[in-house]
Amino acid sequence: MAEYELDCMGEACPIPLVKAEKKLAELNVGDILIVQIDHSCAMKNVPEWARKEGHNVEIDEVDDGEWEVVIEKMH
Amino acid sequence: MPREKKVEEYDVVIIGGGAAGLTAGIYCGRARLNTLLIEKALVGGLATYTNDIENYPGFPEGATGLGLMELFHKQAKKFGVKFKGTDVKSVELEGPVKTVETFRTTYKAKVVVLAVGGRPRITRAENEEEFLFDKGISFCATCDAAANTGKEVLIVGSGDAAIEEGMFLTKFASKVYVSIMHDEGTMDCNEIARNEALENPKMEFVWNTVVKRFEGDDHLHTVVLEDLKTGNENPIKVDTCFEFIGYVPNTEFLRDIVDMNKQGYILVNDKMETNIEGVYSAGDANEKFLKQVATAVGDGAMAGYCAERYIAETDKYESQILARDQFVYVYDASCPNCQNKLKEIEAMETETDGRISFSKADVYKSRGISNRMGITEFPSIAVVRYGKIIDVITGDFTRQQLERYL
Repeated sequence: MAEYELDCMGEACPIPLVKAEKKLAELNVGDILIVQIDHSCAMKNVPEWARKEGHNVEIDEVDDGEWEVVIEKMH
Repeated sequence: MPREKKVEEYDVVIIGGGAAGLTAGIYCGRARLNTLLIEKALVGGLATYTNDIENYPGFPEGATGLGLMELFHKQAKKFGVKFKGTDVKSVELEGPVKTVETFRTTYKAKVVVLAVGGRPRITRAENEEEFLFDKGISFCATCDAAANTGKEVLIVGSGDAAIEEGMFLTKFASKVYVSIMHDEGTMDCNEIARNEALENPKMEFVWNTVVKRFEGDDHLHTVVLEDLKTGNENPIKVDTCFEFIGYVPNTEFLRDIVDMNKQGYILVNDKMETNIEGVYSAGDANEKFLKQVATAVGDGAMAGYCAERYIAETDKYESQILARDQFVYVYDASCPNCQNKLKEIEAMETETDGRISFSKADVYKSRGISNRMGITEFPSIAVVRYGKIIDVITGDFTRQQLERYL
């Protein structure tokens, strides 16, 4: 169960979502993907997608306008 | 192998980041309590789905739901409330330390404020998800009536909310269709509303129908109803579809933990206290008469204030009442008998050169401390030994009686 970081700083939608989908597909069940974003639209669509897919999701506001979306791959 | 979870400690954990939770956060944060707010989706809650909020005081020009909630959020942050965007998996609320589990962290808190809100029940018809909230399917006539002035709308449902909101909509819309699953003439609402609605010339009832499908481009334009008897489809062109088929509180994870009614709404008293000490509940998930931002704010303020009070009383209880062997005189300053006895006690302290001495707890303003001591009659004397209350003397007492404990 490894942890991976995905830097999407400065990237607008839908790039963070596309990158997160691609990266998560490569991981094993139980792995954690941390997507770093600073576009508020990605703060909405990345967690929404991950939850819809049935993964565990947590959002951390690490700084003003910077977020980490933590996704645990469930299947 | 289970992942090792982090453990974090807070004074207060608030579950839910809508109007009620954010207001509780503002009060707790301002009282300098170490406060965490957990929200599973978007901070702001159900209000963010409403475009215009025109009846929240202080905004004569109106506000957008999202804009208003951003201000709440900003204000809570200003007072140092921390935010975490995740789902609560489970809670343990009994005892002095409560735990709230998320998938990565275990939070421990002295107080938990539940502000979990609810969601409107939906029809689950085809394409419904695509048009929810601002795309043509609404759950609030008060919110969206004005935008439908001169237009045609459809209502789904026949309960009190459906029919009363429907009649309200006839003041704006040119036509209000009502889809009802029952046979002609049968409605779930009260008799008065039913008769008024049947006589309303702007209302047209479509009996024995349920929604089969929603159609539109960017915005809804047609609701296709299915006749339950014939199976025929009946497309109705409308600008907005209002669904009034009930409301579901997000309390599934609290079942068998806090007291709730049959529908799953949490039962609280006027201080927003649940049946569990140190656990408060505020907002739409409570059994209450009116669900609005303004009422959620009131609940949140009460819960936040009482949380602060509860923590202060716990601290006082532990540091002043139980910390040493002593007599505690528990009295109500507004009762004359208590005042007389207070003089006797002070005289006894002088006579015995302080061998018998008392701490005094006045419960005139709040019964929090006495409740915690299990004392309901005043005046009473609690005898504290080895960090515990070993005896309570209510009413009259003598010096000899007290000396036995020394």
